[in-house]
Amino acid sequence: MRKNKVLITFLLIITMLLAACTEGTNVDGNSSSSPDSSSDANSQGPLVIGFEADATTLLANHDVNYTTDTLIRNIYDPLIDRDSQTAEFVPVLAEEWKNTDEKTWYLKLKEGIKFHNGADFNANAVKFSIDYILDESNGSFYRSRWANVEEVVVLSDYEVEIHTSVPFPSLIQRIAEDLLIMEPGYVEEAGIEKASSEPVGTGAYTFVEWSRDNHLKLKAFEDYWQGKPGIEEVEFRIIPEFSARMSAFMSGEIYLFKNIPVDSVKQFESNEVKQISSSRINYLALSNLVDGPLKDVKVRQAINHAINANELLETVLSGYGSRITGPLSQLNADYAETKEYDYDPDLAVKLIEEAGYSPEELTLTLDTPSGRYPMDSHIAQAIASQLQSIGINVEVRVNEWGQHLEKIQKRETGDMYILGWGPAFDAQSTIENLFTLEAPYSSFYQEDIEKKIKETNQLFDQEARYAGYAELQQQLVEQAAWVPLWQQADLYAVKSSLNFSPRVDEKMNVFEMSWN
Amino acid sequence: MLDFIIKRLIQVVIVVFLALTAVFFLIRLSGDPTTLFLPPDAPREQIEEYRELLGFNRPLYVQYTDFMKGAIQGDFGESLRSGDDALGLVLERMPATFQLAFSALLLSIIIAIPLGVLSAYKRNTLFDKASVGITVIGQAIPSFWFGLILIFIFAAQLKLFPSSGGGSVNHMVLPVITLALYSVSRFVRFTRSAMLDVLNKDYIRTTKAAGTPTSTLIMKYALKNSLIPILTLIALDLGVLLGGAVITEAVFSWPGVGRLLHQSLMNRDFPIVLAGVFIIAIIYAVINFITDILYAYVNPQIRVK
Repeated sequence: MRKNKVLITFLLIITMLLAACTEGTNVDGNSSSSPDSSSDANSQGPLVIGFEADATTLLANHDVNYTTDTLIRNIYDPLIDRDSQTAEFVPVLAEEWKNTDEKTWYLKLKEGIKFHNGADFNANAVKFSIDYILDESNGSFYRSRWANVEEVVVLSDYEVEIHTSVPFPSLIQRIAEDLLIMEPGYVEEAGIEKASSEPVGTGAYTFVEWSRDNHLKLKAFEDYWQGKPGIEEVEFRIIPEFSARMSAFMSGEIYLFKNIPVDSVKQFESNEVKQISSSRINYLALSNLVDGPLKDVKVRQAINHAINANELLETVLSGYGSRITGPLSQLNADYAETKEYDYDPDLAVKLIEEAGYSPEELTLTLDTPSGRYPMDSHIAQAIASQLQSIGINVEVRVNEWGQHLEKIQKRETGDMYILGWGPAFDAQSTIENLFTLEAPYSSFYQEDIEKKIKETNQLFDQEARYAGYAELQQQLVEQAAWVPLWQQADLYAVKSSLNFSPRVDEKMNVFEMSWN
Repeated sequence: MLDFIIKRLIQVVIVVFLALTAVFFLIRLSGDPTTLFLPPDAPREQIEEYRELLGFNRPLYVQYTDFMKGAIQGDFGESLRSGDDALGLVLERMPATFQLAFSALLLSIIIAIPLGVLSAYKRNTLFDKASVGITVIGQAIPSFWFGLILIFIFAAQLKLFPSSGGGSVNHMVLPVITLALYSVSRFVRFTRSAMLDVLNKDYIRTTKAAGTPTSTLIMKYALKNSLIPILTLIALDLGVLLGGAVITEAVFSWPGVGRLLHQSLMNRDFPIVLAGVFIIAIIYAVINFITDILYAYVNPQIRVK
């Protein structure tokens, strides 16, 4: 018996010693407080949000990545943001903006805003942040999007001008989606390395601690220019596995997480699930860039008629999604209504025959990623089965995500592939990037359509621009460039003690949340 | 003996070299990382520019030679995404992985050896049969599944332990149990058979006939003599545990090397993957090396062979 006790004591000592060796030893116990234990904001522990992956850097304007951007948007502010529900531009650090001519944008900035280290926010900070992207030696992954920017000119402490090399109507979108404002003095003094792990911004939350792949802790910025945030402390906890996130949610360790798989929604209480129609769209690309029968418009139209997207949405996705009929979602600024291809297998067979084939002699390949979009590989199988029902043989190839992207870029996919696009809010970034010959993720090209796209992109006149994109949307549908499927539904698990409304751009701005 | 050690050391170097070479070419087969780094609307010239900047446009053999030159000097390059030193990132994570693996090993030894001894001593009884049955199941259960069951019961339902993450003793309990399950089963079976071997020896029977108390018989005479093969197995199992930690780390979001490698592979952050493979290959090779040397020391015939 004595020996057993010695053994157990020995085990405990060793375990505790080993535990003490690890970075970020947590002894305060706050983080495991139950979210349901109190509704009083003052006695609440930190808000813990379960997140799938960690940021790769905490430096702004460097890594093009949803996770990085979502986390650091709580530390840095943008100049312009999007409305969380309508996706319209709303001013943040910029007060107003306008074109002085086709190649010049003027921005007036808000005054009296402080960075976390006490420095003043001003036009220099804006210039510094844009110059960081443009400077080749920094290797910012955003640079390609800003390549048309020639120079940022500081007019006064709170006024800047951005000069572009070509008319660049979508610059405002780049400002809203990419640009976050860094503190020039801090970055220069501390160096990129320190600024990448201990960030300073003007945002609602200040940096506390980052344990890579484990957690990011932030606390409310007392002097935040929009008022002190309602939630005092925030912890983003990195939990890659869905099942582990779900358990953490059920046990009360986390209050919020995104991306509940549609087939798991039933396991949550109904008031714990919030959904929003995302600006991300999913589609089946019908490639006319690879050789095959899909070069013929009639075959592409036939496939549109042979696939019952409404049925897929109801059965495979349990209704979580909103049907789209063209290349844009209704959230896009230049969305135009397009005709839907009815589900008509007989007509599909007829069109294939008119194109000089019989369905039975067609063997098509369909590439799909697995786990990137809700039920993606299941959708691919279901599409294959619908096409097989009219006699077309479909070979489904499931790819790892990186490999899938590379196959698309190198035009090595089969005749069809599944891809999502977004968050997308304007017509240009979707249409230009998916239907022109040189764009990496394009699946479709037609000379006259490309010409029209290039003309429309440069139009500043809002009405002419809308008319141009509306016509393009009609043409792309007539040409059956894709089988448009749906806008993804973003599903969030939210504890009832947290007041949270999902945003259309998938961001998680803690400043907009509060305790109930 | 010195010759033997030198030969074995050369083998260690060759094993690590081969592992790095194989992984280098295998991950290159999966494609080019620029695809995942740049925004989806990056034009082709930009993609090419980044490939050039990161050196991925050079012939594969040139990339390989450069990589090996760096690797020999301990330079695995920088993380493609964050720009941090790749080897540094991996080494930073080693303590967390070791912590998990050593704790699991310790737990396995503490549970398995007494259980194995008792099972051998009470062979063919209900206790023995039950323990053998349980160990068979223990070896057959996939660790990710067992981990999820533990999370479901002890974290989600009973709320006794956190479901994931690292940083405190509480966080360790479930992953350590998950990781230890397989080793416990292996050790119990092995200890049992090693003990049975010894218990059937004549000298044990003679000692027993001389009236030696059972506890002394087992602890002093039988267990002591079965310990050498058991210890070898334990040493080798440390490698298995470090490997197994990759899956357990993923299930419990444990911030160790396994998770770093898994994530880096998904992100195609090649320098981190290669630095991680290097460290793991070295650990495996060194453990094997030490075991070989100990064997040779105990049994000189091995050296002659």
